[in-house]
Parts: sequence; C-alpha cells; structure tokens
Amino acid sequence: MKNDLIIIGSGPGGYTAAIHAAHQGANVTIIEADRVGGVCLNQGCVPTKVLYQNARVFNTVKAAGNFGVTTTGVSMDFARMQQRKQKIITSLTGGIERLLKAKGIKLLLGRAALADKETVRVVDDNGGVRELKGGHILLATGSHPAMPSIAGIDLPGVCDSEELLAVEELPKSMVVVGGGVIGIELAGIFNTLGCKVRVLETMPTVLPGFDREISQRLTIYLKRKGIQIYTGVSVEEIEQCDDGLLVKAAGGKKELALKADKVLISTGRIPNTSGLNLEKAGVEFGPQGIKVDEWYATSVPGIYAIGDVIGGKMLAHVAAQEGIAAVENMMGRRRRVAYETVPECVFSFPEIAAVGLNEEEATIRGINYITGRCAFAANAQAQAMGKREGVVKVIAHKDTKELLGVHILGPHASDMIHEASLGLVQKVTLDAVGWMVHAHPTLSEAFIEAVRDSEGKAIHQMKGL
Amino acid sequence: MNTPASLRYTREHGWARIEEDKVYIGITDYAQHMLGEIIFVELPLPGDEFAAGEAYGTIESVKAVCDLYCPLSGTVVAENENLLCFPELINEDPYQNWLVVLKMSNPEEIDDLLEASAYEAVCLEEEQAYEE
Repeated sequence: MKNDLIIIGSGPGGYTAAIHAAHQGANVTIIEADRVGGVCLNQGCVPTKVLYQNARVFNTVKAAGNFGVTTTGVSMDFARMQQRKQKIITSLTGGIERLLKAKGIKLLLGRAALADKETVRVVDDNGGVRELKGGHILLATGSHPAMPSIAGIDLPGVCDSEELLAVEELPKSMVVVGGGVIGIELAGIFNTLGCKVRVLETMPTVLPGFDREISQRLTIYLKRKGIQIYTGVSVEEIEQCDDGLLVKAAGGKKELALKADKVLISTGRIPNTSGLNLEKAGVEFGPQGIKVDEWYATSVPGIYAIGDVIGGKMLAHVAAQEGIAAVENMMGRRRRVAYETVPECVFSFPEIAAVGLNEEEATIRGINYITGRCAFAANAQAQAMGKREGVVKVIAHKDTKELLGVHILGPHASDMIHEASLGLVQKVTLDAVGWMVHAHPTLSEAFIEAVRDSEGKAIHQMKGL
Repeated sequence: MNTPASLRYTREHGWARIEEDKVYIGITDYAQHMLGEIIFVELPLPGDEFAAGEAYGTIESVKAVCDLYCPLSGTVVAENENLLCFPELINEDPYQNWLVVLKMSNPEEIDDLLEASAYEAVCLEEEQAYEE
C-alpha cells in the first residue's frame, strides 16, 4: 500500500495530524520510538494532571472542617496515587492506539530516520529494518528536558520532570531549579503532598513570560502554602552531602546552600532533532529546532515539521493544531495556527490561565491600554467553594475597547479561559462581553466584572475608601 | 474609632509614625473597617522612591481595591513582608502592622500631616456626607 503520509512521532501533534489526514482519505503510517501518545500522555501533561488532582483532593479533604465536614486520620498513599496515574496513562494510550486502528492508520514501533529526501528508515527493537516511501513526511518528534551544564548534574537524586513523575516514594524535600511552568506545577503538587519545596529561578519573577502582576501574586500564594521561592539566583553546583544533596546558588547579594533529597531540573526543553539524519536529508535545523516556513514546510519539499521539534511555545494543544494545519497545507490549502490567541495554563494552586497580550507586552508594543480586575474573593461561587484566592485581569485597547488579553489566577482558571479566547479570536469589545449575560452564581461572573472594572463600572466593587 | 494620638494622619486614611529620619506608614483603623476583610496587599520594594501623595501600593479587600498613598516623600527601606502572606493582620491591628518604612527625604512635610483629632474630624465628615 502506498503511503500518502508518513509521520514520525505519535505525540499529540503526530497522532492528531494522522487522524486528520485519514479523515481526508490519506493512507497514513505513524512511527513511534517509545510509547504512543508521546511525552504529553506518558511523561508530561497527563501524569502531572493526574497527580495534580490527587493533590487537589488531599487539599479538599484537609479543608473539610471549614465546610463542617468532620474527618479524622487523613493521610495519603503515594504508591496508590502512582498506580492510579499509571492506570489512566495506560487507558489513554490504549485509547489512542484503538483510535488509530479504527481510522485505518498503520502504527509502526521503532526508531525512524530519514534515509533520503523521500524515504524513512525504521529500525525496530529487534534490529529489523524497513524502508518506507511516502508522498509527504511529517516530523513530530517532540522535545526532551534540558539538562544545563552544572557541576553535579549527574548525581543520583538530581532528576528531570519525567523521572520525578515516576518516583516510587515521595521525597521529603526537593529543590526545584527553574520556576517555569513545569517547575511551578511540580512544586505545587509535591508541596501539597507533604514534600518541603524550594524553587530557584534566575529571572526576577517565576513564570517568566506571564503577566508580571499575576506571577507576583502567585508567588505570594505559593509562599503562603509554604513553598520558598528565590528569584534572581542561579545554581552554581550540586554536591552530595551526608543526608542528600546540597544545592549551591547565588545571585546579587544572595548566597544559598539548600539541602534536599531530590533536585528537579526544570530549565526548559530541547527539540528532538538528533538521530533523524536531518543533515543528510538536507533538512535545515538549529538549536531552536527544525526550521519551517509559516506553513510548516521544512527546507526539503514534501517534508513538514510541527510541535515541540520546531521550537516556539512547546504546548500539546499547539502541536495538535499545527498537525492539522500542516496536513491542510500538504493538500494545498493555506492554514496556520492563530498563535496570538493560544491559551496557556499553569496547574498551580491556584491555577493560572492566560490568553492574548500581557501588560508588559502591551507596553512594549506602545498600545494605549486599560486594565480591569475582579478578585475571586468578591465572587459568590468562589466564596461557596472556599476558593477565594486569585483575580481575573483583563487588558483592553483604551480607544477601540477591543479585548486584548485576559489573565486568570484562581479556581478553574483553565476551564474559564476559553470564553476569553473566543472573545480574542472574534476581536470582541468590552461592551460585547458586558452585554453577554453571565449566569449567577458562577466563577465566570468574575470575568464580566473585570471587564466592567476596566471602565470603572464594576457592580460589586468600591473604588477607593 | 481607634486613633492613637501619638501618630500623624492623612486625609487618605494613612498613618505615619516618625522615628528620627524614618517613618513607618500604614492604614488606619477607620480604613480597615471600611474595607472589610483585607485579602491582598501589594507593596513596593526597598529602594523605590515616592513623593508625598503618590500611590505606593494597593490594598484589596472583599469589597474594594484601593491605592495606598504616601504620606511623606522618601525612599522605601523596608516592606512588611509578613503582610504579603497574612494581609488579614491589618484588620486585626492596623497600627502594629505597618506596611512600609521610608527614609524621609523632606521632613518638613510632617507639618502637613493631621493630628489625631483633625483626622477624626475628617472621618466624621465623611460619614455625615454618606448619611446625607
């Protein structure tokens, strides 16, 4: 059978592209070197969210007394949490495999590389070699955790996010090197489960790239929960000491020496470009990943690339959408992902979700903007839920009143953000949101109140004393 | 209304406690009462400079978000970091829980601040205006 499309990598980018192409009638082969579903399903988004929910349940049960529900002897069983996580991963990856089969997509397990500009060579675990030719080739090989060159990085107990998610025992203490999304999420989960967590970040705030007001506010909430955060410091070396690891860091006038059982390195991810034989096939790439044009075409006609391996935002939902767009483009249509309106979520306690411009970006672009806020403490549903931490912040154009950015820190932020995304995609004005009736009592009322506040018209807020 | 005579006040419901060239500043009992439960404060960092009357931070309660106005000109030498984690302490004792300490740059401005009795009159005026 002739292949219309050969996809290397079955993460969210690869399998979404495969299914979209199959829907268009293409004969598709997808090749996976490790486990179907990629990092997202096996070592990333999904396992962290399972553990996040475990931590959330633990928080809820611990706070039950506030709701008049009496509990005694609350404890947690980390081994069972890990079993539950594995069960969900197995169920989801099995689901993807069945889905591929049902759509008539051929799944091949093995390591794939480009033999030439139109041939993919696959070596399976037993050393068997196959060569495939296809109309188009899509590279969706993802990324892996970056390990900076710090002395002691190879010591036992120093791990990346994928290794940390697989630990059998909960560490008593952990130093997180890198306060980006991955570091902050894992810091929150492990802290909730009872591990003493300290976070080191080289930038002046954690979550660089997010609205500064939001990340500063999160920092305060994290500190309230007992997570120590040190910003503006860089790790100099990691040493083995009697009872664990010693992380030495410095920055400005600060000098730190922090002891911990585990050290998580979460300083970013690197595109998986090696082993693909890109040079020989003539596919251009660099440290930031495979180079593609705005239609996801590489420097070799017929070869496309999407997802983490092309760098950029490295989000599963971006990879999936790029997969669909790349398939469309192979068929001669012209589609690209609307990067300006991609929501970004952080599963911290409380959650963050953001879409569009943040205040710093609006300033840099010289936009004349207004901002509005509504604290969840002023929202009835949030009060009822006992989730009063957080705020909804909106940014809009001062003259046109077009919604430019929405930043939510608080309960269910990741569920709430899509209303804002739709607003940004449709270029709605504050007035349009203000006239869209929001149900009461819901968390989403905080959004309409923040919109009203940007024009000084919040119903449930006083201005000044 | 709790208005210690040892402090000086502003019309924006701030208080100032002067100690040599330094001044501790915070919000008054009347202010915390009007705000209700305080849930968040945003404070400047040491080294930041402010002129008298300039906003130096924000305070947020379940009812309102307010700017905090500097009673005197100066440079921040300390912020009460504890309040970032436990803002409700301001409700418990607004005079013990100062927000920031400034090194004054123009001590003559002290003369422009209100005595306790004058500040109480301001609060009464506000309440009467509300009742009318």
